[in-house]
Amino acid sequence: MMSSSSQSYVNAAKHGQNISVQRTKILLLGTRRSGKTSIQQVLFHHLPAKQTFYLEPTMRVAKHEFDTVIPLEIWDCPGNITVDSLGASLADFATIIFVIDIRDLYQQPVSKLVEFIVAACQVNPDINFEVFVHKAEKLQEDDKIENFRQIHERVVDRLADESPEYEQVPLNFHLTSVYDHSLQEAFSRVLHKLIDSLPYLEDLLNVFCLNTSSPKAFLFDTASKLYLATDSSPVDQATHNLCCDYLQMLTSFGPLYKSNAEGDIRAHLFSPTPTPPPTATPSPPSFSTSPSSTLKACVQSPPHTPSNLPLDARNAKPLFYPSAATSLSPSHPGTTLSYHLVTPHLALLALLPTTIYDMRRGLVEWNVVWFREGVREIWEVEKERSNAEGV
Amino acid sequence: MGASGSGKTSMRSMIFSNNPASLTSRLGATIDVEQNHVRFLGDLILNLWDCGGQDAFMDSYLTTQRPTIFSHVGVMIYVFDVETREMNKDLEYYRDCLEGLTQFSKEANVFLLVHKMDLVREGERAIVFQRKVAELEKASGETAVKVYGTSIFDESLYKAWSSIVNTLIPNARNLSKHLRIFAEACSATEVVLFERTTFLVIATSSPADSSESFSSDPVAVHALDPKRYERTSELIKSFKQSCSRLREEFNSLELELAEFTAVLDEMTKNTYVLVVVHNPVIETAAIKMNIQMARRKFEELQGDSLVS
Ligand SMILES: Nc1nc2c(ncn2[C@@H]2O[C@H](COP(=O)(O)OP(=O)(O)OP(=O)(O)O)[C@@H](O)[C@H]2O)c(=O)[nH]1
Ligand SMILES: Nc1nc2c(ncn2[C@@H]2O[C@H](COP(=O)(O)OP(=O)(O)O)[C@@H](O)[C@H]2O)c(=O)[nH]1
Ligand SMILES: [Mg+2]
Repeated sequence: MMSSSSQSYVNAAKHGQNISVQRTKILLLGTRRSGKTSIQQVLFHHLPAKQTFYLEPTMRVAKHEFDTVIPLEIWDCPGNITVDSLGASLADFATIIFVIDIRDLYQQPVSKLVEFIVAACQVNPDINFEVFVHKAEKLQEDDKIENFRQIHERVVDRLADESPEYEQVPLNFHLTSVYDHSLQEAFSRVLHKLIDSLPYLEDLLNVFCLNTSSPKAFLFDTASKLYLATDSSPVDQATHNLCCDYLQMLTSFGPLYKSNAEGDIRAHLFSPTPTPPPTATPSPPSFSTSPSSTLKACVQSPPHTPSNLPLDARNAKPLFYPSAATSLSPSHPGTTLSYHLVTPHLALLALLPTTIYDMRRGLVEWNVVWFREGVREIWEVEKERSNAEGV
Repeated sequence: MGASGSGKTSMRSMIFSNNPASLTSRLGATIDVEQNHVRFLGDLILNLWDCGGQDAFMDSYLTTQRPTIFSHVGVMIYVFDVETREMNKDLEYYRDCLEGLTQFSKEANVFLLVHKMDLVREGERAIVFQRKVAELEKASGETAVKVYGTSIFDESLYKAWSSIVNTLIPNARNLSKHLRIFAEACSATEVVLFERTTFLVIATSSPADSSESFSSDPVAVHALDPKRYERTSELIKSFKQSCSRLREEFNSLELELAEFTAVLDEMTKNTYVLVVVHNPVIETAAIKMNIQMARRKFEELQGDSLVS
């Protein structure tokens, strides 16, 4: 978790009024052309990977804001930046991401990384260090592993040379590339360490999986394709890739058949304001409930099946929440990949047995509603906190 | 047909073998003619001749192999690399090929693809393409040709190939008419029919010629994106590839997005149908039911449409 020393205050003007939002800061470091700007642009500005080729060298520190469950501020630095020329104290940052080109085994990047680790540890013992061994797709599997191992070893050796006390500093290494979803996966893991409410989100996902027999579920930020949380089962890379591709397809599909007619009625259907769950039985899982009581509340909720209701009754749903499902075979009994938007920018993606999705749609939808209310509550609390601390 | 390295085998492997664009750089030059039989719509067998483009092969196609190459041609697709430095040589071979066609397959349709358009700067693409079209039409003389700008990295490839295969489906108009009836039954804005393995568009409920459309035409009312068909082909094909990497197979998709409601599902054994609805009251379950009920009719129609 973050300590308060790793946070600072930034003023952001929004909707014409001045609301101070406290942003969690991430520092993006690395030698020239290691891929920092590419990473930032691909993740947060939808730049196609191939076009990173045309990016200009970064000359000054560029600060990028990104709003997800927590507000972030990412500092993209020029390659020659030093601790002194940064223009901010390392105490202000929650995380340092250091990008190393996987083919670059030489002294320079490692020295630079070590220099920053040493400086950061002195002012901010809680800072997270993340090393992105980048452009990994350029190498064959064996070379990739070997270079990754060597870079890791060099950093650890150099730190130990510096002083034995640095041997204890936790460093996280990731293999990344803008050409596949390894970047999203690594950055998601970086983000998880910064979200205070992560355990609550994970609980909600665990309950969802338990109730719907889902083997895997993610809460995705739809714009960046980062996942903010997942259930406690291990993340399998292939499944993660498929979910990212699915999200990509859905976001590309939307505009294709979008009506450009004036006053299209659908535009007004989606309402981000919270609604109470469909019945007044147990109160929705709340941010403050302990994991076990959250679990009980949901497990006890009666699995009702609105799919048995006449169509008219289902049409009467007061609000519209975008959703989608794709069914896959031949895995038995077949998998359905479901998508439910739960806030304007967060979506629940889940693998479900097709039998459950087809036969017990009501159970799934019921659990989505619970999940949605839970996420909304957490989101509200996070928002209040970052606003309050920002004032 | 087309010069060596112009991209013929790359296209073929993407459209008919579902290979991703990233793997095409591993293809070697094609030696002589590679013949492929691909099943399209189940019963239509396309006999695809991928002719290696190195000069020695070209010369032999035009001389000793001439009758073999140019007899019984339904469609000739000539691929020009947009960045070629030997356009004059390309055009010379192209004219010789046209002559071969006139001699042995008078009825053949001719498609010209100005390929690798992604290499041209986006702002200049339209101008470069127009210039190529003029040049190619001039070189074609009397022969009617259709020219498309293509790239394996975007949807333009699907647009060109949909148009190519459409010349091989004699009864596409009839299919269109029935899709229109079906669209009305579903309260759909539009219905699109895709071939199953290639995901090329074979018919849509909208009139093919936009001048035929009338003001109450639902598609005209909603002013949908003109590139939607080829983009859909591209999107679904790439999602199918993602699924197969997990050893899964894509079956069906239902969407209730902020923009529209849609179902993409199997129509007949060899086709997929996309039903797009803007009316927010219509549920995907109702669309699915309609598709199920229309299946028999479309199996019959498809049988008819291929007998020519
Ligand atoms: N930039 C770009 N490259 C392409 C495109 N299409 C194909 N290529 C590349 O062009 C190269 C040659 O492609 P091939 O498909 O083998 O060419 P070919 O026409 O079959 O060549 P021959 O068999 O010798 O006649 C490959 O490296 C492809 O990756 C495209 O649309 N854009
Ligand atoms: N092959 C490959 N190239 C990359 C990757 N990420 C970035 N690049 C390339 O690396 C170069 C430098 O990237 P840039 O983001 O400007 O580096 P910066 O100076 O660290 O900001 C560009 O040509 C990018 O196209 C990657 O994952 N794989
Ligand atoms: Mg070839």
